[in-house]
Amino acid sequence: MLDFLQAVSDGVLFGATYALIGIGFTLVFGVMHKINMAYAAASVGGAYCGLLVLKVMAGAPAWLVFLGAFAAGGVLGWMVYLTCFHFIPLSSPLATLMSTVGMLLLIDEVIVHVTNGMPQNYPLMFDDVMLRAGEFTLRGDLLLVFGVSVLVMIGLLLLLYHTRLGLATRAVSQQPVAAQLCGIRLVRVNALTFVVTGLLGGIAGALIGASVGMLSPLLTLPLTVKGLIVTVIGGLGSVPGAIVAGLLVGGFENVLQLYRGVTERDLYVMLLLFVFLVFRPGGIFAPKSGRD
Amino acid sequence: MSLLKIQDVVTAYGKIEALKGVSLEVAPGSITCLLGPNGAGKTTLMMTVAGILKPRKGGISFAGEEIAGRAPHDIVARGVALVPENRLVFPAMTVLENLLAGAYQRGDKKAVAEDIDRMYARFPRLRERSAQHAGTLSGGEQQMLAVARALMSRPRLLLMDEPSLGLAPLVVEEIFRIIAELHRDGVSIFFVEQNAHMALKVAQHFFLIEQGRISFSGTPGALAEDEVIRRAYLGSAQQ
Ligand SMILES: Nc1ncnc2c1ncn2[C@@H]1O[C@H](COP(=O)(O)OP(=O)(O)OP(=O)(O)O)[C@@H](O)[C@H]1O
Ligand SMILES: [Mg+2]
Repeated sequence: MLDFLQAVSDGVLFGATYALIGIGFTLVFGVMHKINMAYAAASVGGAYCGLLVLKVMAGAPAWLVFLGAFAAGGVLGWMVYLTCFHFIPLSSPLATLMSTVGMLLLIDEVIVHVTNGMPQNYPLMFDDVMLRAGEFTLRGDLLLVFGVSVLVMIGLLLLLYHTRLGLATRAVSQQPVAAQLCGIRLVRVNALTFVVTGLLGGIAGALIGASVGMLSPLLTLPLTVKGLIVTVIGGLGSVPGAIVAGLLVGGFENVLQLYRGVTERDLYVMLLLFVFLVFRPGGIFAPKSGRD
Repeated sequence: MSLLKIQDVVTAYGKIEALKGVSLEVAPGSITCLLGPNGAGKTTLMMTVAGILKPRKGGISFAGEEIAGRAPHDIVARGVALVPENRLVFPAMTVLENLLAGAYQRGDKKAVAEDIDRMYARFPRLRERSAQHAGTLSGGEQQMLAVARALMSRPRLLLMDEPSLGLAPLVVEEIFRIIAELHRDGVSIFFVEQNAHMALKVAQHFFLIEQGRISFSGTPGALAEDEVIRRAYLGSAQQ
């Protein structure tokens, strides 16, 4: 029983990063009705760029690396928008799917090339801290992952519900023609959505790197899949859904890892996806008002 | 000089030309009505003026400046607002947020707050429902909200695409009362209507569009006298 609780708690804490990745997929979907397949790869890419801080300034503190990843994520998000969406005909549903899958593979290749395919150590934070309650423990690094993720989510919700840009973003996702009639610039909102989700992705990538202790290009594909699963379970376009689904998937996979081992666990996560697709295709909270 | 001048505008969806060379003028300070059967191109014309659709040919000038092909935000900034067909409120945003979205381009927070108060005074139902999601409003309330949202940009010309569509007779009367009121406040109005009886009570000039072409232009008197139009839009016996 204790093992079980421990696995759930560790998994849910780490699941906050899945929630962030899920939010990234879901926000872009809400605004543009497109899936950005390159999102998780760009997020890992942003985390890699964070390591450049250590190149420039040897011995820089971990939080500076995280900040670098955050900023680089935003820049990468904007670049993904430009290359995969801005100049591509949006009326064709397949075009941006192809362009973003291409970008996913390209980012992977660049990472492999630059690092010679070697995993890179990532700076840890609070890895020596451990909260105990009897046998039950809370790892400091996982608490950091969770805490930072929650802060980022609160920031995002404040942005969405208390700023002009947030108002514009929600308007575009609910009714794009009316949004334009109000004087909102569609292209600008689209681009900024990519920047904002990129920032989120960069920090998520860094948190994953910090809790695993290293980054490897092998992370991008599973993370893409998990992000998509979280998006489906949470309901396409729903930010609260992505948050809940991220924590859920994190806890679920860690429990299965405990009982079935690390190689088998993702199998069950995939099965969870199909259970949702069949029994609850709209996600945990089917969104109140989607377009179409 | 006319406030809005549309010249030989052609707008197409792919190969199909929905507007085949439309020309018309709206005088400043007037209420002008565009009549026409389903599929004639009324919505296409409104969307083209608002900048959502780009004309393939022709010119549109507003207050003497060319606006054809400009982006919607630019056209709103110049003082043209459209209340779109089917209202298109933001369903998961509150009534207040819908109004704020309408004022998106305005930086003057205080004046915006005053205008919101003014809208609530004009549409008391909206004040009552201020914190409610727009998607939960009745059709009539949504239409009021769509009008109020458009007015939040302080337009000189208000375009309305079938504002009475699908509304109960009492609500339709209220919409027309509001059109007359807005006109008195100095807003020029160019609206699409299928309900010619109601339109005759407020509009000073009529255009009829059929299959993408203007087929009639004239005063309410001329409209009522035209035998063919009377039969099609007013029912032969009525006046
Ligand atoms: N998105 C579109 N794609 C292709 N054709 C379209 C599209 N929208 C409208 N049309 C066509 O253009 C023509 C004009 O349509 P429009 O919506 O402007 O008519 P309308 O006068 O507003 O009709 P209604 O009274 O039904 O609102 C119609 O023949 C219609 O089928
Ligand atoms: Mg129409």
